[in-house]
Amino acid sequence: MQPRGVFWSIYREALPVLAITLLGGLCSGLVLSGLLDSVADFPGLLVMVPVFLATRGNVYGSLGGRIATGLHQGLIQPRFEWNDRLVNAIIASGINAVGISIVIGSLSWGVLRLLGREPAPLRVLVGIVLIASLLTAVVMIVGLLTLLFAGYKTGRDPDNLVGPIVTTLGDVFGMAFLFLAVVIVEVLVS
Amino acid sequence: MALLTDAELGSWGTGHIVRTMFPLLVVLCGIVLWAGITLEDAGDLLDRYGLLAVMVPAMIGMGGNLGSILSARLSTRLHLGTTTFDPTDRLLWANVAAIFALAATIFTALAVVVWLIGRLVGTTLTLGQLLWISLASGLSVAAIAVVASVVATYGSYRLGIDPDDTTIPIVTNVVDVFGMLVFLAVSRWVLVG
Repeated sequence: MQPRGVFWSIYREALPVLAITLLGGLCSGLVLSGLLDSVADFPGLLVMVPVFLATRGNVYGSLGGRIATGLHQGLIQPRFEWNDRLVNAIIASGINAVGISIVIGSLSWGVLRLLGREPAPLRVLVGIVLIASLLTAVVMIVGLLTLLFAGYKTGRDPDNLVGPIVTTLGDVFGMAFLFLAVVIVEVLVS
Repeated sequence: MALLTDAELGSWGTGHIVRTMFPLLVVLCGIVLWAGITLEDAGDLLDRYGLLAVMVPAMIGMGGNLGSILSARLSTRLHLGTTTFDPTDRLLWANVAAIFALAATIFTALAVVVWLIGRLVGTTLTLGQLLWISLASGLSVAAIAVVASVVATYGSYRLGIDPDDTTIPIVTNVVDVFGMLVFLAVSRWVLVG
């Protein structure tokens, strides 16, 4: 394909998806501005927000990138089936997501202590991220694969879809479940 | 279907994926923590201008998206053997130009939509201020995303690591941190002086 054709094909394929991502990001932003009220009760919560959101992107972005390459190479079929590669990739992303959430809570707490701040108790911060990441994992894995398979079957290049899908789902559900986790922990703690 | 052995699964084995990814995830966590602390420190700015909090996830998410689109394309082209990283490769430049065109379009839209939300909730930020904040930080973030994508993909390739495991995490996290720093710095500069 000529450079001009490549330019327009990327622009045309990516723009609608990015527009949806933008809406997702804005919804997530509205939830974030609502979460600002709970920051006083749980010092350290705001520090965990970018780390938590970034981790969603990392874990599921890697899963998506792997699936996209697998589809291109013909190693994976665009449907839910017992494919060893698919199952292994899904299990690995689950282990990574839950494992890293414990690291996020502990690391945020530890760094804030080192900086001489007064974060919320360790078990509270870890509890919030852990609950949020378990809930997010289910939605992310099912949602990401469904959208990637559907996109691929309708002739879209999965490479252009992975990042935006992961960010949109991760931002929207990540923030929503973080908010929910804060509510749950508020009830448990009080 | 018979189960594949670990050797047959190769880079698709659960153990392999976790061992490759987890240490990287921990390192990236440490890097993005910096963005978190920057956000916490900007609490006063967010309290004064609530619209900025609404912009934060879209702002940093979009930088990561642009970087991911480029990295995913570069790494699949590597797998298929069609990328050369030659600076005279006009297809590479077409990819980069498309990223900037997308950034200009999307960050203009971000400013307009946030301005409309602001009109509804009655804040005092003008469309001009929002356009300045959105486009100045957005285009800087796009530039960072492009450099990070090319460097990370080429770096992984030279080190013999599958770019699918590394580039998108590296690019999105680098862009998250710089996106947050640039966005908050530009906002402070435009709004506070």
